[in-house]
Amino acid sequence: MKVLVAVLCLFCAFLTADFIWSQGETPVRTGVSGFEERAGDGVRAGMESRGLESRGVPFDHALHGDSIGLDCAACHTGSKSGARAYMPAKSDCMDCHRLPLTEKPGIEKLDSALADAPEHPWKAVSQLPDHVVFHHGVHSAAGVTCADCHGGRGAVARAVDDREAIARDARNVPNYERNVYGGLKIDMKTCLQCHKGETFKERNFKPAATYCAACHR
Amino acid sequence: MALVGLLQGCKKGQLGDGAGTGSGERLSAFMKRCEDEVRLAVSEAHGRMDLVKVPMPKEMKGSLAGFSAGSAREASVNRFGMAIDLDLCNGCGKCILACNTENNVALVTDEEAARGRFMHWIDMRGGAPFMCAHCGDAPCEKVCPTGAANHTPDGISAMMYKRCTGSRFCGANCPAKARKFNFNDAQELGLVRKLNYDVPLREKGVMEKCSLCLHRLQNDRMRFKTEAAIAGSNAEWRGRGVKTACAEACPRNAIVFGNWLDPESPLVKAAQGRQLYAPRELAEHDPAVVFMMGKR
Repeated sequence: MKVLVAVLCLFCAFLTADFIWSQGETPVRTGVSGFEERAGDGVRAGMESRGLESRGVPFDHALHGDSIGLDCAACHTGSKSGARAYMPAKSDCMDCHRLPLTEKPGIEKLDSALADAPEHPWKAVSQLPDHVVFHHGVHSAAGVTCADCHGGRGAVARAVDDREAIARDARNVPNYERNVYGGLKIDMKTCLQCHKGETFKERNFKPAATYCAACHR
Repeated sequence: MALVGLLQGCKKGQLGDGAGTGSGERLSAFMKRCEDEVRLAVSEAHGRMDLVKVPMPKEMKGSLAGFSAGSAREASVNRFGMAIDLDLCNGCGKCILACNTENNVALVTDEEAARGRFMHWIDMRGGAPFMCAHCGDAPCEKVCPTGAANHTPDGISAMMYKRCTGSRFCGANCPAKARKFNFNDAQELGLVRKLNYDVPLREKGVMEKCSLCLHRLQNDRMRFKTEAAIAGSNAEWRGRGVKTACAEACPRNAIVFGNWLDPESPLVKAAQGRQLYAPRELAEHDPAVVFMMGKR
């Protein structure tokens, strides 16, 4: 028994050390700084495209998602059950970043960035018009995953980290059908295709409403 | 609570500086204009209602004009409507003000007001509120060239403002003249403010009318479906607990909102054993908004 506990402890310690060490080795990305300049040209070509407007906090989806066991709703509260998915406030970041992670040099930089960041570091540039009803939670509860509309997890990570790759992707797709997340551009056609059961056939979603006033007011 | 706080916060920011309306008018001044207009409309109300007896509304009789493709697939268990108790109503007009602020109904210019032409979704006719009856066999929907006026499976005659091109055929074909046309660019003239963020503002050249507080029903439906899916229940949404703004505002509870097909609905309970009436011109079109008077 004692041996088992000791082995487990060692294993945990190794995992933790490995995680912290890898954090130290990987310089914190500040790749979002170029976003603002480039957001204007290729990325926001579609009227319905949604953008993420970062205000100076370096952020890497790849480090915050599956790799540490967090799903999207951990930060984007409301996405699983609410009418809309919210962007996290600085206080949400600080919930986790008060951990002893700050002892590592790379993280100190992040800490100072967080300390200097405004109360709401991110602003959702949502362009849902007021005559359209979109309930985020009802889609999530019906079994639609985040990636179905927002692109794969890699796409979300790329959206923040590698704007050029997205712009490159966009140029390769006829009629520019990508949103800033690398997923499909979302417009009424996209909505209706899925609501009529033309797309995602293999997922066996329940039939969805297609009368006008289900989604419009 | 958080949502309410957020809405309040938005309102404050929006109204404090008069942004989005083009005028620096304070909210209190705007509300005063709204109240004055409602008072004028109630005091100058004329026109009578020629009521005839109707049975209790059941499933819609009409062919779901306009947009039957989606509706046919899901036979609905709901038909929303209202009953107005003429024994209780004293014509105070509070329902009109509540409706106007809930649905961002535009004010009219002084000339129009002098002629009794208001944008109100509720009119006072014969001392009682009258609004769109959401006919099951709606004549207005049959003549809409763009499909902007159409029916939901839940029995609401809905208006898709973005589809409306302003032909005004629907208004001409409504026997009760329940529809109002936006002759003015209300936003440009400072005649409207977005008091309720759930309801879009209507543009010039668009027809509008009572929506049975469609936004409240939509919000409740989405909430219900989300909760049911998370809880794994197969419950059907019946719109229980939803009330229209006018029903909520009525000091004498003379307006009852509910679901005609739900025996649990306060509407069915209130209408039980009462004699129901509808305006003569609407009676044959299967109205969902009816009047109650006396015992049957």
